[in-house]
Amino acid sequence: MIADEATLRRLMAASQRGDRTAYTVLLTEASRWLGRFFARKVPPFQIDDLVQDVLISLHDKRASYDPARPFLPWLAAIARYRWVDHLRKVYRREEQALDHHDAAVDSDEAAVTARFSLERLFTQIPDNHARAIALVKIEGLSIAEAAARSGHSEAAIKVHIHRGLKQLSALIEEAD
Amino acid sequence: MNFPHQDLIAALSGNLQPVRPLRRAEGAALVAAAFAATVLLVWQVLGLWHDGLTGQAPPIFYLVNGLVLVLGLAASASVLALASPRVGQRHDGPRWAMLMVGVLPLVAVLALLVQPHHHAAPLLHCTANGVLAGLLTGAALLVWLRRGAPVSPRRAGLHLGVAAGALGTVAAGLACPLAVLEHLGLWHVAPVAITGLAGALLVPRLLRW
Repeated sequence: MIADEATLRRLMAASQRGDRTAYTVLLTEASRWLGRFFARKVPPFQIDDLVQDVLISLHDKRASYDPARPFLPWLAAIARYRWVDHLRKVYRREEQALDHHDAAVDSDEAAVTARFSLERLFTQIPDNHARAIALVKIEGLSIAEAAARSGHSEAAIKVHIHRGLKQLSALIEEAD
Repeated sequence: MNFPHQDLIAALSGNLQPVRPLRRAEGAALVAAAFAATVLLVWQVLGLWHDGLTGQAPPIFYLVNGLVLVLGLAASASVLALASPRVGQRHDGPRWAMLMVGVLPLVAVLALLVQPHHHAAPLLHCTANGVLAGLLTGAALLVWLRRGAPVSPRRAGLHLGVAAGALGTVAAGLACPLAVLEHLGLWHVAPVAITGLAGALLVPRLLRW
């Protein structure tokens, strides 16, 4: 069970004042939330790296959080930014494909996580773009394999990925 | 229990220092100070147009400068918001304000086509002044963005450029006595387009994090 929004907001405000105990609790809770957030949107073996990237970004950019506003929408925006950044960097096929790993998600957490989920971003871009990104960047297929599976040319797959990532980048805050 | 990110969390907690949260009111004050300083500079370098300040200028002078000022404020507010990201936050205001101001050059071109004897001089002189006058506001907004965590660098760059150009051309426009639509709609709006384009192309590189 992850701490509720009000608790996270208090922890973050205390962290901005330099409270190390509150910060340790906050980062621990944030890392759990992020693990669920990224589940099935990157191969499981990449989740830890991505969570760590977001934690470091949270640390570096903690002044950008306004304590008068909710914490999770701020964290989700940073997580989405890092995720799109991560997708851009994944160019070669990884040996380990995405398996059917499902992180256990409590029912009330699921509602909160779903609101900011990465799936919501995919629904905002054309299907061809989302599918190309999912096949190559998340499942780890090569461009040729993705082209064969989707029935598009390799050039079209590259264009779909390029345009899709550009659109995802523009939607980070707006697709809620 | 050995938690997966325990070492990183311990390191980050150990390095924790207090930070001052970004407050939009402080950002707004920074932009206001930069704009005020720009107006003072324009006053010292170019001198301000007396009729414009005393309400004796033609209405088109206030109309064009007022619309561009609103665009500058909308774009500035968007930049301040972009520094503190949040899922669910929208930035539509500057888009509509840009379309609104974009009507001005279209009408100016139409007016020139209908009455070609109207000249739009002194042309690039006012545009250059507008661009230069936007530098201070642009720098203030850039400092603010770099302190923040912009997750849409391209949009942040575009809005920064538009805000700088709009507020710059309004400040420089206080010195310009040529209050006709054909001039104001073209050469006083051009800085917004120039700095907007420059912001969208150049600023994202300065915002990577």
